[in-house]
Amino acid sequence: MSSVTLSTVLRRRSDVRYRLIEGEAVVLRQSASEVLVLNEVGASVLDLADGERSVAEWIEALRGELEVDAETLARDVLTFAGELEDAGMLEVVAP
Amino acid sequence: MSFAAGFLRFPDLFPGRRGGEPWGDRSVVLDVAGGPYLFSGLSGVQDEAVRAKFAGLCREPDAGPAIATRVFRAPATDFLDFDVRGWEYTLDMDHSPTGVLLAGLRLMARLDWTPELTGGLWTPEAAGEEWTSVFENYLRVLAAYRLLEAGGVVIHSAGITDGASAFLLLGPSGAGKTTSSRLCLERGASVLSDDLNAVLLRESPHHPGPPLLVRLPFTGDLGERSGGPASYPLAAMLRLVKGTEDRLRPISPAAALAGLVAAAPFVSRDPWRRDALLATLERLARSVPAYELVFSLGGGLWDILQSIPR
Amino acid sequence: MSLSRVIATTWRENLLFSVLVELTYRCNLDCFFCYNDLALRGEPLSREQYFRLFADLREMEVMNLSLSGGEPLAHPDFLALGARARELGFVVRIKSNGHALRGELARRIRDEIDPFLIETSLHGSTAATHDRQTRVPGSFDRLLANLAEMRQLGLRVKINSTLTAWNEGEIEGMFALADALGIPLQVDPEVTPRDDGDREPLQVAPSREGVLRLFRLQFERGRAAAGETAEVARGGDDGTMPAPVHKHCGAGSSGIAVDPYGNVYPCVQWRRPVGNLHRQDIREIWLRSAGLAEARELTGRVKETMDAQGPGSHLLNFCPGSAATHTGSPLEIYPAAAQRRELLKQVIGEEARRPLLPVLR
Repeated sequence: MSSVTLSTVLRRRSDVRYRLIEGEAVVLRQSASEVLVLNEVGASVLDLADGERSVAEWIEALRGELEVDAETLARDVLTFAGELEDAGMLEVVAP
Repeated sequence: MSFAAGFLRFPDLFPGRRGGEPWGDRSVVLDVAGGPYLFSGLSGVQDEAVRAKFAGLCREPDAGPAIATRVFRAPATDFLDFDVRGWEYTLDMDHSPTGVLLAGLRLMARLDWTPELTGGLWTPEAAGEEWTSVFENYLRVLAAYRLLEAGGVVIHSAGITDGASAFLLLGPSGAGKTTSSRLCLERGASVLSDDLNAVLLRESPHHPGPPLLVRLPFTGDLGERSGGPASYPLAAMLRLVKGTEDRLRPISPAAALAGLVAAAPFVSRDPWRRDALLATLERLARSVPAYELVFSLGGGLWDILQSIPR
Repeated sequence: MSLSRVIATTWRENLLFSVLVELTYRCNLDCFFCYNDLALRGEPLSREQYFRLFADLREMEVMNLSLSGGEPLAHPDFLALGARARELGFVVRIKSNGHALRGELARRIRDEIDPFLIETSLHGSTAATHDRQTRVPGSFDRLLANLAEMRQLGLRVKINSTLTAWNEGEIEGMFALADALGIPLQVDPEVTPRDDGDREPLQVAPSREGVLRLFRLQFERGRAAAGETAEVARGGDDGTMPAPVHKHCGAGSSGIAVDPYGNVYPCVQWRRPVGNLHRQDIREIWLRSAGLAEARELTGRVKETMDAQGPGSHLLNFCPGSAATHTGSPLEIYPAAAQRRELLKQVIGEEARRPLLPVLR
């Protein structure tokens, strides 16, 4: 169960490779040879996970870019972040 | 130390075949004993440098047969850096039934019998003396192997001629090949080379004759790379000894053979071709008179050489 | 959302996704059936040109970058290029014969490049057979040792093999070797001519019996692996089966190959140059090359040709590049493909007739 909150700073794990294809992200986790395809929100989350900004900052950056209401956006981003962390794509950056 | 480990950063990447990126699309043929030798893949600068160094021996390629070598780029980073001051030039060689691998200073090369002899040369040297040195060091080995195939040998020696016949002066480094050559030169002889000469044994039993001393463009301090006749009948082989007088003493074919074996570079280290080399040297030792030549700095050795019956 | 649908999108929309770069034709082995055109001439791409290419590919959202050759490790800038590829986030595959992949070099590859996969080549289950192909004595023993070392270093490795007349009797041994090493083995049943059309490699093409033996073994292994489909993909295929699209494959539509002299091809097998990086950047070539446009159109026609073959056309495992090399036309069904279909049908028929359950008395 993910412990990601709005203040969590996450980054892509070093073995993650991804590209954006027509709004979706094709993601490979090399160490597990796993491939995921993420939708627009997931792709955006992955792109923003630079180890510098918090989840809250991601939501702020995405507001206005995606055609979704604020509450749904926040919930989806938080969920995705947690799922990507659980899937081993993202890791928490220690404060 | 395993093959090439003293010269290459990654010996495992030694070329396994004649492939890679050539320096350019220029080619040149060298008419040197055992040849002709065709070199392709040269840059314009490399081609001009070879033609300048071996002037008189180079020509344009034609459709005729030739021993073909392709020249490729190799990065400088492939080679270990080491201090060459005081270093005596050596080559690392790896022998197999079908080929020979060479690793040396800024040089990787392979000779393959596929079944005819072909060569590949990899170097980072683009120009200048560094390039022509690599080229010559490779050509020396190529010529040694090629001449063996052609019924000849390459010998560390001084080759002296009076214009009618020739003499082969043998001895290890410091024995006096250059000194004796200079003494003969002062007395009107011509020096073919004071470093490396070729001897070609005539093949046909129907035309017996002495073996030929053949000019090679590999000289030390003395000798012409080109010019003049290419070969002379070999009158005698002389094992040099420095002394205070000038004196000649016949030696047996066995003793001559021993001297020849010690003076035959490159191929003598090859277990797959050593027997062929020994057979050729033995034929040479039996067919040409051999002597021990004690010589002084007085210069009388040329008179002694002239007195040897032909 | 599936990968196969994404791949189909790249094919359909001509989105470059995978690039194979032949860095050099220098090699530390001398395989008899090597497909490289060693007589090819040109100006090698410089390090800066490769860096520019990689930067352009990154902007084009290319994901897969395979470093090949010859032997890519022999390229003077291999480590630097691999590191740059990693920096730019590519999924890097290295196609190496494995001969030099040990010690310091293997560690540096792991640490500086972190490739997704290293693909090496095995030519037999015995030194005699493997070394016969590579023509470098000791290469078999070296490869096995290096494979073990690579695994120990944590490198992900795969073995590619091509079935030949020389190794077709050792196929079970090769799979056993790979199993013992814990490394997947993919075997391609087809020997191809050289890229310049030289058919000498076909002298070691496998026999019908050899191909049948391979297919039967692959099916048997598939059954033993709890029902997974036997992998009969063509060499170089990453195994991804795309969702239906109007083209036969991604050659020139989602993938390209580049040779050491900057020539660009629709794929590594299809040696029809469609541009050169000394004259144009990859974006220009991708968007404006008439050769690529033609290749894309041809893969559509290949799809129609395959559809016209009826059910089972996928058993041909048809490659327009191979077809062009074998026959001169990317549309013509070449003998190896026809044989593959015939023999696969035979083996599939044998499989269908196998009793599913033991008879209970």
